[in-house]
Amino acid sequence: MRDIIELASIGLVSGLVIGLAALAVTLVFGIARFANAATGDTMTLGAYAALIGTAWTGSFLAGGALGIAAGAATGLLAYHFVFKKLEQRSSVASLLASIGVGFVIRAVLGLVFGHGQQVFQLPMVRPFRIYDIRVQPNDLKIAAAAIVTLVVVFLILHATPIGRRMRAVADDPMLAKVSGIAPKRVMIALWALAGGVSAVAGVLLGMKTVVSPEMGWEMLLPAFAAAVLGGIGHPVGAVVAGILLGVAQEVVSPLVGFTYKIALTYAVLLGVLLFRPRGLFGRNEGVR
Amino acid sequence: MTVTRRQTLAGLAGALSLPAFSGVSFAQAGGTFRIGALNPVTGAGSPYGSGMQKMILAAVEAVNAAGGAAGRKLEVFAEDTQTQPQAAVLAAKKLIEVNKVQAVLGTWASGVSLAVMPLTNEAGAILMNTSGAPALSVAPANAKGLGYRFQATNDRFGRAFAEIAVKEGFKRAATMAFNNASGIGNTEGFRKAWEAKGNKVVESVVYEPNQASYRGELQKVLAAKPDVIVTGSYLADTTIILREWFQTGENTKWIIPGWAANPELVKAVGNEVAEGLFSVDSVSNEQAPSFKVYDEAYRKAMNQGGLSNVYAAMTWDMVITLALAMEAAGPNADVAAINAKIREVANPEGTKVYSFAEGKEALKKGKINYEGASSVLDFDQFGDVTPDFGVSIVSKGTIERKYVVKI
Amino acid sequence: MEAYLVAIAIVTGIYVLLALGLNLQYGLTGIINFGHVGFFCVGAYTAAILSQHGVSLFITLPASAALAALAAWPLGLVSLRLRDDYFAIVSLGFSEVVRLIVTSERWLTNGVQGIPGIPRMFADLSGMSQASAVLGLLLVLNLVAIFAMRRMVSSPFGRMIEAIRDNEEAVKALGKDPARFKLRVLMLGSALAGVGGAVYAHYIGFIAPEQFIPLITFQIWMAIIMGGVGRVSGALVGTIILMVFMEGSRFLRDVLPFISEVEMASVRIGIVGLALILFTIHRPQGLMGDYTRK
Repeated sequence: MRDIIELASIGLVSGLVIGLAALAVTLVFGIARFANAATGDTMTLGAYAALIGTAWTGSFLAGGALGIAAGAATGLLAYHFVFKKLEQRSSVASLLASIGVGFVIRAVLGLVFGHGQQVFQLPMVRPFRIYDIRVQPNDLKIAAAAIVTLVVVFLILHATPIGRRMRAVADDPMLAKVSGIAPKRVMIALWALAGGVSAVAGVLLGMKTVVSPEMGWEMLLPAFAAAVLGGIGHPVGAVVAGILLGVAQEVVSPLVGFTYKIALTYAVLLGVLLFRPRGLFGRNEGVR
Repeated sequence: MTVTRRQTLAGLAGALSLPAFSGVSFAQAGGTFRIGALNPVTGAGSPYGSGMQKMILAAVEAVNAAGGAAGRKLEVFAEDTQTQPQAAVLAAKKLIEVNKVQAVLGTWASGVSLAVMPLTNEAGAILMNTSGAPALSVAPANAKGLGYRFQATNDRFGRAFAEIAVKEGFKRAATMAFNNASGIGNTEGFRKAWEAKGNKVVESVVYEPNQASYRGELQKVLAAKPDVIVTGSYLADTTIILREWFQTGENTKWIIPGWAANPELVKAVGNEVAEGLFSVDSVSNEQAPSFKVYDEAYRKAMNQGGLSNVYAAMTWDMVITLALAMEAAGPNADVAAINAKIREVANPEGTKVYSFAEGKEALKKGKINYEGASSVLDFDQFGDVTPDFGVSIVSKGTIERKYVVKI
Repeated sequence: MEAYLVAIAIVTGIYVLLALGLNLQYGLTGIINFGHVGFFCVGAYTAAILSQHGVSLFITLPASAALAALAAWPLGLVSLRLRDDYFAIVSLGFSEVVRLIVTSERWLTNGVQGIPGIPRMFADLSGMSQASAVLGLLLVLNLVAIFAMRRMVSSPFGRMIEAIRDNEEAVKALGKDPARFKLRVLMLGSALAGVGGAVYAHYIGFIAPEQFIPLITFQIWMAIIMGGVGRVSGALVGTIILMVFMEGSRFLRDVLPFISEVEMASVRIGIVGLALILFTIHRPQGLMGDYTRK
């Protein structure tokens, strides 16, 4: 029992990171209406920027802030130079272009930083125990950072005028346009927000693991899976699905063999889609 | 969809008439012996590939400076395997067909060597690799005896791990392996040797790379209460696993292959986590004069000590061994004749030599035995070497060699 | 030199088979299949395992096609009723699951060690004549595939799938079930990928799970995007450009020695990325595309 609770808590932390990445995917999907494959590489970029920021200032917080700024800037640049031009076209065009954007980001990171691994020098400390359950201080920090980010994002979405406009566009783009919501401002806010969220996910992933040019790309599949599982375009769904997948991976994989850990993600995904084709929280949309 | 037959044919003709790129002229033939440097410059082998390639070039420079081998200068054509079989096959095709190389040196990943070897066999070229997979020793891979392995097989690594675990008095060993041929080869080799000594592996886990966490895997292994965990792993995953392990609060010991347990690992996890790790590597032949020459060349090319890249020492030796075999085979010998001389110049008996120039002189007097920078380089019937293994322990952030194990 | 060109042509021929399959699925029917490499993998392993038991080439090729198509069946059945973009992600996941299965099921696939020594085709020939024979076989396979596709396009089935691509809702309104047609197309395209996999296995002679990563899928996508979606000539031309670019960059380095090999890998992927972006923005119909149609 103790083992299972520990495994679940491990999965919870991984799941929060996956959930953040899925949130970035789902935000773009809800409003710009395509699956953004550059999300993973934006994460990587955020992690590298945070590494630089930390090295310059000696503070994780300042580093993280630089990471977020870099992620947001990347999102805006990608929107301005690529996705804006594809707005009137099919979602596949944007999806393919986003793969291209991801490749370009990865190429630049590889050229600038090389292919060796880099790490965030977190203090390594032994765990403390609550009711005999091991709790790792670094996990708490990562989880706290993820939760703060989530709270901020949901505050932006629900308590600010631009957030409300974003949700209006996500619900019904035509109606939003008719009601006089300027789509361009919504898009700018969206890409800055999605880029920033991706960067946070990248920084947290980098803290848990190691930073290399391919790290975000490797996380893209689980993020996509979580976004679909949660019901694409549904922010709460993405986060819940991320956590669900993270916990399922850790708790179930000791039983089916660790090499199938990643496959579990898809098993869960397919299983859910069989019964709920729109995902856990997805609404039935009249139009696509 | 409208397509005319002419378009189709034009397309195929395009595929066949690629020589737009062949305009690059290749050096004059005759008087030179061409070798291909086929190294993992990018992909998983990238920490080593550049150094391996540069040492092939440096060793060739040394050979040519000594007047070439049997009157012939060596000429190198370098390619990247991308640590990927398909890319490596095309690169090898290019080397063999376009550059007309007669020996391919320095394939690293087992998958790459296994994919390239049929091609070199077919072309009658020599393939010298640094891969671990046991399959490379025997037919069908090494059917023609043109393959040489300068690295210990994974099996031998596993045997060395078992020797060390016994010597250190461990009783309950567990294993963790990266899910590829090399990772599993190490831990399986360990299991065989360890069980042959009457011990039991209390738990073994194989993991997929590129995960956000390996804690589930760790927990399973740690639940069996091992006193030592033996790994077949790489740098990135070892970094993550060790950091996570330390934060579980357990006090297990670790035996890790040297390509993962290197200074970069210690830097990444910090001194406290790394304290007491066992790092095991095939020992370069550090006391030998050949190593000093190599070390100097490596420092010059890479600005790092030669010990940081055991594979580079191997590629250095590849060139020297090949050149000495050419020298022994005499002017204008073909590949088969050169191949026949490789064991003769590298294995005992004979005057021990440590460089090409020295060997060239000694060959005039009789049989030689090249003692390499990477190991003493004695090839068995399969073209495999049995290096010694160095055991280092991390102490206060530095990796210190404690003793050497012979198997 | 010739042998090197033939080698490239053979790999190109294999990729053209894959591109034709994807073209059928995406270009003609609108199925966003991001799991193409999974079927390539099934085909390759089928051929490798069968031929290790002494089964002849005449059986391994069709068997690979059949098994790849069969592997597509459950995937299509479950997920072709989903939204297009859901299918894209589910199929990508499917190809990863295929890779994990061949990695883990050692009893069948020899796991991570891979399968070495897969018999070559036309083994009684040697050198150039063997390679030429392989190339000839690929040529025939491709021509058959192209011919069959052209026949199909002008058949009622072909008109139906194009209608599905252009307006699935309208097809539904007519009382037809698009998913049934899509399933058949998915299986047909996968069969082509399976044949490609079989030829690949017999040609390279060694397969291991690490050869079947999603990057292959994206390369094929890039080829048909560059060449022109929905056109046979597009699949051909796109694949040729892709191969010229991938192989050409080797020679580029002979000319530009100041770019290190490591940097070259980054430059390569950067150029692929840029090409994808520029093509989707400025030339969505691809090089061979119809100028008059949108």
